[in-house]
Order: sequence, then structure tokens, then C-alpha cells
Amino acid sequence: MLFHAGADRFLRRGYAAVEDRLTRAGQQLSDAEGTAWEQTRGTSRREEVRAEYPRLDDRAWLAAPDRFLTGAFDGGLPGSFTGLSGLETALQHRFPLVSIYQAWGDREDEARFPSRAVETIDRLGSVPIITWEPWVKDFDATLRPNLPPVAEREYASLAAIAHGDYDFYIVPWATEAAKYGKPLFLRFAHEMNDPYRYPWGPQNGNRPEDFIAAWKHVHAVFRKMNATNVLWVWSPHISMPWFEYYYPGAEYVDWVGTGVLNYADVAPWSRWWTFRQIIEKAYPTLKGLAKPVMITELGTLTTGGNAAQWYADMFRDLNGEYGAVRAIVFFNQTEDVTLSTAPLNWSVLQSAGATAVTRRALQPPARTTRTAPS
Amino acid sequence: MSFRRAWQDDSEVFRHRRARPVARWERWTLGVLIFLGLQSVALFAWWWFRAEHVANGVLFALLSFATWYGISRMVIGWYNAIHVEQPPIRPAPEGLRVAIFITSSPGEPYAMFERTLAAVREVRYPHTTYLLDDTRDPRFAALAAETGARHLELIGIPGAKAGKINAALARTTEELVLVLDPDHIPFPEFLDRVLGYFDDPGIGFVQVAQAYHNVRRSFVARAAAEQTFAFYGPVLQGMHGTGTAVAIGANCTFRRAALESIGGHGVGLAEDLVTAIRLHAAGWRSVYVPEVLARGLVPEDLDSFLRQQRKWARGVYEVLLREYPRAFRRLTNHQRLSYLMIATYYLVGLTSLVYLAIPLLYLLTGVQPAAMFLGEYIAHAAPVGFFGVINYRFAQRWLCDPERERGWHWRGTLLKIGSWSVYLQGLLLALGNVTVPYIPTAKERQTGNFGRLAAVPLTVVLLSVAAVVVSFVRRFWFLSEAEVRSTSGATAGMAGFAIANCLLMSGRLYAAWKDSDRHSARDGGTRSRSSSSAG
Repeated sequence: MLFHAGADRFLRRGYAAVEDRLTRAGQQLSDAEGTAWEQTRGTSRREEVRAEYPRLDDRAWLAAPDRFLTGAFDGGLPGSFTGLSGLETALQHRFPLVSIYQAWGDREDEARFPSRAVETIDRLGSVPIITWEPWVKDFDATLRPNLPPVAEREYASLAAIAHGDYDFYIVPWATEAAKYGKPLFLRFAHEMNDPYRYPWGPQNGNRPEDFIAAWKHVHAVFRKMNATNVLWVWSPHISMPWFEYYYPGAEYVDWVGTGVLNYADVAPWSRWWTFRQIIEKAYPTLKGLAKPVMITELGTLTTGGNAAQWYADMFRDLNGEYGAVRAIVFFNQTEDVTLSTAPLNWSVLQSAGATAVTRRALQPPARTTRTAPS
Repeated sequence: MSFRRAWQDDSEVFRHRRARPVARWERWTLGVLIFLGLQSVALFAWWWFRAEHVANGVLFALLSFATWYGISRMVIGWYNAIHVEQPPIRPAPEGLRVAIFITSSPGEPYAMFERTLAAVREVRYPHTTYLLDDTRDPRFAALAAETGARHLELIGIPGAKAGKINAALARTTEELVLVLDPDHIPFPEFLDRVLGYFDDPGIGFVQVAQAYHNVRRSFVARAAAEQTFAFYGPVLQGMHGTGTAVAIGANCTFRRAALESIGGHGVGLAEDLVTAIRLHAAGWRSVYVPEVLARGLVPEDLDSFLRQQRKWARGVYEVLLREYPRAFRRLTNHQRLSYLMIATYYLVGLTSLVYLAIPLLYLLTGVQPAAMFLGEYIAHAAPVGFFGVINYRFAQRWLCDPERERGWHWRGTLLKIGSWSVYLQGLLLALGNVTVPYIPTAKERQTGNFGRLAAVPLTVVLLSVAAVVVSFVRRFWFLSEAEVRSTSGATAGMAGFAIANCLLMSGRLYAAWKDSDRHSARDGGTRSRSSSSAG
């Protein structure tokens, strides 16, 4: 078509400039409305969160926090924050961490650093966690003539990333992340060791050394772009053995993450597993890496067991033997279709008992609820 | 030249004018502009139609229809503009027998006929004038006798104006017939500029530009005239270039044999178009002469304008639903496209409704058609709008009377958008097959009740403002901070669209205010509807 004849590149640059300006103006407008809202309502989520966690702007503190952190992902994010608000209201708790997902690609919601969502999370006083998924198929073949055809692209994609083939995407993204400047958790290519899940898994000829090379390359690009505000979350799937072979090394990782999702009785390979049963085998290895551990996706289904008991046991174990776990992120997804059978509901809110247990567990420690001197 | 000065001098206004010829560099420049415009349209389309943009399937389909209806018309307009062509001037041969038909109906002002018939007598080429009269007013017969016209008493003939024309055709024998609207004052050279084209035996009719002399009488008059300038300028010249020039408006000259071959002049609310499409289907060709050879009246008040527009909209849909399918197989491809474009012109009523409703729907319910970044939308749509305007302005060099017609035409645009409800009404009437009585367009300024005249735009304004207020109340007192902060961009955008919609109603509101009884009473000089109906 016509715009491939060369005008495209020129026009696109013009568009990017216009867009940039509009995005900035939009953010200013949003900030003005947010400030007006806070004044009208006499409350501010940011102040509430920061009263509890004053050092969330401190990257060094976030790399080794002296407090347990909580976070949440909601299925409506990043478009709608309604679900997140509902979760916080029900649990009477403000999450210092908010988790979102972004795939790589040329689609509008993939093409750039998600600054709108990230800025919103920041204005609300929380720290964003971005799960950054290298869906290399999503790059438009007509725009990216140098990439292999879409059908072949996923084979050994991690080696290609390590080789710099995707720097056209990584570099501007890292630049934007650096421009954002505040601490930001980045969970790149999670569950890289699971051959049944994502295209960057071993089933596509991605070896552990390819993953490590890709990680180090991405890390190097970010450092070069001065995106040192990023905290790196390495997040394997712990039910696969030898996940530790994918560990890039202590100097490239700030947090170790893993999902803990109890699939209960929905699949032939699963049954009702408690938090302890899911994590206990891998825990010594995770702890051995000497990094804070984040449960990046946390939830249980409710069929075939007692969800309230599941959460109660989990909080007991977190306070007890699993001290290396320093953060949990609730996976508030009510319609998870990644298993392709019926959509799964991971929300803690679906069980009144679990909600009550969690609400109680997340109340601030006694020191903040001391009784007033009489 | 200023608008006031341009229209001040009657000897300048009532003068023959012809569109400037097309220079080669102009055609090339236009070609380059269109090429660039097409790129921006392609880029916009490539961006628009993406799966991730669909937020609500039905609404997205509606919004896409509205958006691409407008853009596709613009692009086809460019295609037409590149075909701009003017027929070479051809002197009228001697000895042709020509009739001029003027129809009069009850309620039309006598003074108008005095002026028109006097002017017709001054038309140089020998001709016979017929007054097709059903007023039962003895003054009209006397006037005809006085001005050398033949008086044809044609009372109780069905089919309104077209019925009278057909009855008159049966009583006359001239080979060429000019149907002149009674409000149009022809210039002496009218027939001399037109008759030469009938040398070609394949030519069925010759249309000339329609122009007005009362443009500065009111806001509505100016706005309504602005809506026609481009059409009788570059648009019809382009249609001439593609062999699709239509009989439209007034002052078309027909070959009797052509009319007889299709069983006479077409009947209907858009009788001119009905006749044109039938003639084209019968294989007759047409000529468009881009010359101002007469000047008539454009509606001066809102009520008359809206009635006229409703009548046309209803009539044009009749052509789309009844004539177009019948004629389709016998039309050329260009004619098929051209008549489709004309017949779907008033769908703008439907697309306006979509544009008006979408921000309201979002502000009140949170449902939105598309998940687009406003910045992306503006960045991609702005070049399309830019080339739309630039190409429109560039083509204005081929207006018939650029001195008086050139401009941004924002009044015409505002009034067209403001009239969306009558265009929509026309569509509904056509779909429901409801008949609208044929009333000649009012020739004098009417006034009316402001509330009635402004009901539609006021409703739009009140609904939009209410939706914005409701939305902000909800945001500040019922939503969480997270919800507010994450949606402020979309809400501001939609609130902006709602306010823009209010501004787009300003033309019709202003016109309604100017025409309201109370305001006009202060102004003086116009007649209210109640008194004019007696006249």
C-alpha cells in the first residue's frame, strides 16, 4: 500500500510527537481532576498508602523491604480500576503494589510503555508490577520485515532477543521506563521453564542458557537507557523441577517470584493443594537464592475444598516457616480463560469466608491500632 | 472582497458569470493534494479497523458506519473533482423553437411573478413563455397577457408542478423546454448559452448553475446558499466530466423528445432527480453549464429551510428506494455511483444521531464503542480532516461566482449538522412510506415560536449538558479515586465531544432565535406565519 512507500516512517514520527504531547496534556488533566477529587472528598489513596508504607519511592528499600508487602492484580486492569477498588473496599486494605500485564507487540496496547496505567498507579500511591511477556508473534510482519515470518518467529525467540533482534522494541520501552523514573517491578518472561504454557518456554527450543542470555541482554539495555529504577522479578514455574537452571544470577535479579494458584479439581493433573503443598518442595531452592520472594499470582478456586481455610492456612504459614516470602499479589481474575475450559474464578471475594479471613490478616499490625490514651 | 460589498451592487449580482477554465497546473496540484489525502485516509483506515479497538461490537459498527460514511463520500468527492470539466462554449443556432415554462401555485406572491415574467420577456433568444397557472387568481392571466406570455389554466391536475408540466407539454409543440422556477430571474443571455449544446442529438437536457440573489437577507439564507456553492461549482463540473450531470434544483432545459421517451417529466418530491435518472437510464446524455444565468431565492427563515430540506430528503430516498433499483442496469458505472451518492446524501441525519448519542451513552452508562487512545485518534484523524478542508478550498477556484461564493462555509456546515433531525425524519418517512405533501418552498420570510423552532437543538444541548453534569457528580461523589483517575482521559474526551455537539447546534439555535416572533417583531420587516397564510 501507499504508506509503505516511505511516507510512513516520516508520518509515524510526526504522529508520535503529536501523541506524546497529547498524552502529557491528558496526564495533566487527569492529575488536576484527581487533585480536585481529593479535595472534594477530603481523602487521598496515596496518603493512605504512604502513611502505612512511607518508603515506596525508595528503590533500595523496595529491594529489601523491612515490611511485608501486599499487591493485587485485577482482571479489569489496566483499562478499568473498578475491580481493584471493589477488592480494596471488601478487604478494607490499600495495596502498596498493583500488578498489570503487558505483551510485546505492535498492537496499540502493546506498542509502548504503559505509561497511562503506570502513572495512574503511581498517583494512587502504589508501585506498579509489570509482567512483561515477549509474545514475539504480535509484531506486525509488514512493519518488521527484518523479523522471521510469524509462523517461525516463536522458535528460539529468547536467543533472538539475546541477539538484539528485538532491541527496536526494548530500547524505547526502557527509555520510557527510565523517563518514568520511580520504582517499578518488572517481571520479564515469567514461567519460562514451563513447556505447556507460553511460547518462550522450552518447547520452542529455548534452552536455559538462552533465557539467561536474553535476561542479561534486556537487563543491559535497561541499564544503558538508565532505567535503573526497575526492580527485576525473576519468576519461574516452581512445579517444574530444575527451574533454578534458569536463574540469571544475583546481580541481575532483585526479587524471586512465583505464582501459587490452587487449581483444585478442575484439571486431571490437579487436586486440592494447600499453599504449603504447592510451595514446600521448591521453597528451599527459592530461599537459597537469598532474594526476597514474591507470590506474584495468588489464589485458589473454591470447588472441592474450603477456601477460607486455604487462606487461613496460608497466612499462618507465611507468618511461620516461609519467612523469605516478603510479598503476595492477589490474582483477582474472575474469568481466567488460559486453561481454555470454563473460565476460572481466582478472586478471594467469591468466598465470604475467605474474604473475612483475608480482611483480618491484612489489618495493620497492632502498633497502628493502639488504643487511645484515656 | 467583503461579503457586504460583494452583494451590495445589484448590477454586479444580476450579471452573467462563468466558472474559470481549468488550467493544467491546477489539475496536477489537485491530483497531488488528492494523492496525499488518500494516503492520510489509508493510514486512518489501517489504524481504525483493528480488533483491539472494538470495545462494544454494536456501537463500534455504528461509529464505523458514521465515520466511514463521511470519509467515503469525501474520497468519492475527490474522485469526482479530478474529473472537473467544462463544456466548450457553443453558440445557439438560429431557428430553434423554445418554450419557457413557469408554474404558479396558490399562495405564491404575485409580485414575484411580475418580476420574473418581466425578466423572461427580456431573454434574447426567441421563445414562447407559458405560465402554468392554478391559482384561480385573475391577476395572473392578466399579467401573462401583459408580459407576452401564454396563460395555461391548469387546475386540479395531480402531480403538483410536474403534473402541470406534463399537461403543458401536451398542449405545446416546441422542441426544447426550459422549466424555470418562478422565483428565478433569468438573465437575457440565458438561452443563448444553453441551446447550442442541443446540436448533439444525444443530449437530453442541459442544466445550469442555480444561484441566489437574497443571500444576504438572513443567516439562514446565507447558510443555505453556502451549502449549494460547491455543488453547483466543482461538483457538478466533475459530474459533467463523468457523464453524470443531473437535472437538479431549477432552470433545466429539456429536449421534448427526451421527456416524451420516458413518458413525461417525473413526478415526486424530488421530481428533478426522478426525471434525470430516467433520462440517463434511457440513454440520454446531459450537459452541465457552469454559468450563473439566473438568480432566485433561497429560504430565508429556518422553518422554510427545514421544510424544504425535509421534502428533499424524503424525495431523495424515494429515488433511492424506487427509481435507483429500476434504472440500475441501464446506467453507466459512473451514473450508478453518482446517483447512489446523491440518494444517500441525507443519511447524514442518521450518522449525526450516532455522533450525538455516543458521548451521552458513555457519560451516563460508561459504555463506549471503541477502545482508542484519544491522542491516537486525533493524530490519525487530523490529516484526513486537513486534506478534506484543503481540497475543498482548492476546488473553490472553479466556483461559478468565486467572488461571492468562496469561503469556509461554516454557516452552511453548522446549519446542515443542525438540521440532522429533519434528514432523519425524511429517512423514517421514506421507510414508513409516509407521504409528504408537495408544497412549493416558501418565498417569503416566515417567523414562528422560538420553542418550536429550537426544540431539537435545545434538547440536544440540554441533554448534553445534563449528561456532563451527571457524569461529574457521579465521579466526584460515587466513584473511587482509582476509578476516577484511570478514566479521566476518556471522560474528558467524551465530555468534550458532548460540548462540541452543543456548539454544532449553535447554527440552528441562532437561526431559531432570529426567526422567533418576539425577536422579529423588534426587527420588523417580516411576516409571521399566521398572517402570511391569509395572503
